[in-house]
Amino acid sequence: MKKSLLSVLTLLLLTLGIFSCEKNPGGETVEPTTGPDRKALLTQWADSLIKPGYQRFNGKLTTLKSKTAAFTTTPTTATLAEVRQAWQAAYVEWQKVELYEFGPAEAVSLRNHFNIYPADAAGINRNISSGSYNFELSTAIPQQGFPALDYLLNGIATGDDAIVQQYASSAAHRRYLTDVMAKMDQTFGTVYTQWNGSYRDTFINNSGTDASSSLSRVINAYSLYYERYLRAGKIGIPAGVMTGTPLPTRIEAYYHRGSLPLLLATTAHATVQGFFNGRPGQPSLKSYLDAVGAKDSRSGESLTSLINTQFGVSAQQLSSLGPDLFATITSRNADAVASYNEMQKAVRLIKVDMTSALSVTVTYVDNDGD
Amino acid sequence: MGEGLRRYFHSYLPAAPLATFRLAFGLLVLASVVRFWAKGWIEELYLKPKFFFPYYGFEWVRPLGPYTYGLFALCGLCAVLVAVGYWYRTAAAGLFLSFTYIELMDKSTYLNHYYFVSLVALLLVLLPAGRYFSLDSSLNPSRRRNQVPRWTVDALRLLMGIVYCYAGLAKLNSDWLVHAMPLRIWLPAKNDLPLIGPLLGQVWVAYAFSWFGAFYDLTVPFFLLNRRTRAWAYATVVIFHVLTAVLFPIGMFPYVMMVAALIFFPATWHERALDRLRRLLRLPEAAPQAAPLQYSPARRQLLLIGLGVFFVVQLAVPFRYLLYPRELFWTEEGYRFSWRVMLMEKMGQVQFKVVDGATGRARLVNNYEHLTVLQEKMMSTQPDMLVQFAHYLRDYYARRGVQSPKVYADAYVSLNGRLGKSFIDPTVDLARVSDDLRPKPWILPFDDEITGL
Repeated sequence: MKKSLLSVLTLLLLTLGIFSCEKNPGGETVEPTTGPDRKALLTQWADSLIKPGYQRFNGKLTTLKSKTAAFTTTPTTATLAEVRQAWQAAYVEWQKVELYEFGPAEAVSLRNHFNIYPADAAGINRNISSGSYNFELSTAIPQQGFPALDYLLNGIATGDDAIVQQYASSAAHRRYLTDVMAKMDQTFGTVYTQWNGSYRDTFINNSGTDASSSLSRVINAYSLYYERYLRAGKIGIPAGVMTGTPLPTRIEAYYHRGSLPLLLATTAHATVQGFFNGRPGQPSLKSYLDAVGAKDSRSGESLTSLINTQFGVSAQQLSSLGPDLFATITSRNADAVASYNEMQKAVRLIKVDMTSALSVTVTYVDNDGD
Repeated sequence: MGEGLRRYFHSYLPAAPLATFRLAFGLLVLASVVRFWAKGWIEELYLKPKFFFPYYGFEWVRPLGPYTYGLFALCGLCAVLVAVGYWYRTAAAGLFLSFTYIELMDKSTYLNHYYFVSLVALLLVLLPAGRYFSLDSSLNPSRRRNQVPRWTVDALRLLMGIVYCYAGLAKLNSDWLVHAMPLRIWLPAKNDLPLIGPLLGQVWVAYAFSWFGAFYDLTVPFFLLNRRTRAWAYATVVIFHVLTAVLFPIGMFPYVMMVAALIFFPATWHERALDRLRRLLRLPEAAPQAAPLQYSPARRQLLLIGLGVFFVVQLAVPFRYLLYPRELFWTEEGYRFSWRVMLMEKMGQVQFKVVDGATGRARLVNNYEHLTVLQEKMMSTQPDMLVQFAHYLRDYYARRGVQSPKVYADAYVSLNGRLGKSFIDPTVDLARVSDDLRPKPWILPFDDEITGL
């Protein structure tokens, strides 16, 4: 009984082996012998994307810090223009690193300290007049970071002269601006130091696929960023898809307005797409998914091509919301909703199809197979 | 009743297998409870969430707030009492009730081996496992029995056999055997394991694992029953379950099965094991004279009928999916409580929309504001949970002033490597759909076929 069953099994396995061998030469890609190399992927991310990204951001942040100091020392329309320009450049650069909210950035809640909007203008004004505030409190989240700087540099008074006058006449204002800047500098400094220290090795050596692995953390952070902070935060919430009424004042960089809000969004979108594709010939999410042969089994089209097509459509729809996102949401909100919908299609490909194909675990709790 | 059957129901075995099983099982459940507690899951799964997914007919089973800790403590205490055999039957009943209550509190934590633990605990209430090598029997020697009817031991073996065979039958489908799904997705993700890692990236290995897994599940109970193959079969039990423990995050399941499979070993083996334990704990020698447990005819009849009903239900329940017209893996109608383990890589995303019945104003729901990561993950691929959440949203928004809220869900699900597709009809108002066991016509077609059982 046992013998005959065993031989039947062996026979079946052999047959299958032959079948699968026959298929390979006809297919476009030959399965790699040992499967994807996660450590190489993590190394590439750490050394070619995350660390250089943080380095460039650090440069912009340092400039912003010195321009802020120059402005608070001598508030003039000229120094205001310079600090604004530095703020804008750093804000754009921030869009290229905000998605790395894992490891050191997650530990200090970097995003909470840098880019939760809309800014709480009333709270900021209270802080300025009281002179006592703690940026670690959850109520203080929208009273700091880039959105706070947006309010402090663009919205605290009407007209550049009035803004300059405000800072020239009020030490409390100068102090708050300096403190916001110092908090950003200090928080980012922790993250930057860790990536340049031991965390890089910790990151690339944690090469499994369980819920605490680097890959799982990156994928969770990546899809969460695209879904919640890009799709919903930058477009969905201002367009009113969550609440039923457009809320154009909820856009990023609201006090600055003009073409900046859309530039921030398109930069973020391009970053997400660039992170997916990596550099030609180097390990990336794209090459990993191709290596595990992820495809639509109904049509045979590769998952990476489907994702890139959708990213393309979504990026195009997003760029059509220009030049002024605030004006677009006010006058032709349907386009913003359409842009949200295209991003939603990409969210599904990332959150469902890609995560499933990567086989990363998202929860720590036991699971016996979905 | 045939003569053979008659003889069978009157034959006796030493009580040792029931005693070791009781002891090992009690300790394992205790370890599960301690592990669950230590990992902070009581708070994370039963205290923090704002909403829980009850089972049909058990909507009244709810977490008890901070008293939930007490419930787990009670469960752990009953497990200890079962293990040492003190107030045995009350403890077994307490274990069954507390453990089952815990499992019924939220569907999103459903695991097949929790169901298995509940069933074993129920059997232990009926079986005379507290009459030998127990505190009860040493405190009250007149209750001690060292021989029990053979069928009381065989009942546990039969349950094990059902679990394995049904798990094997569930693997006889085209995704598992022809496409090596989902192992083909899961195994390459483990290719950095020492020794076996490099193999796991290869497609033929996924096929080998799939086919061996199906063969193993279908046959291992029979090899365990046979005296000549038993040792080898148990060795494969250990290898198989250790391998699954290494590869997949399935918690206590491998250990539960490894320990439970010991019930197939002969009574003499169990007696030797208990003797060794007695020496280790410096307990007195077992009394040599035979003391068989003889049920009164009425009691015996009642027990046998009870067990008969239990096993008929066990054999039938996994096939209830045949009452539903469409693909089981897609609709999951009749999926739970059927020993379908590790069969699907299923992932989904769902966007709920709530529309005010009076003004027509629509708003989208952030699931994470209401559900935990685990709950959202489980809900997004299981239609019955989607309805339950939709009803919760209906009541939630009605309380916040939305008039006769309509709830629509735009769900997207991928199954075993197929590209995701729309899962349920986004035009159906789920607020008005009833949550029951009837087929759900608003689940959209699967547009593919999985053949087999």
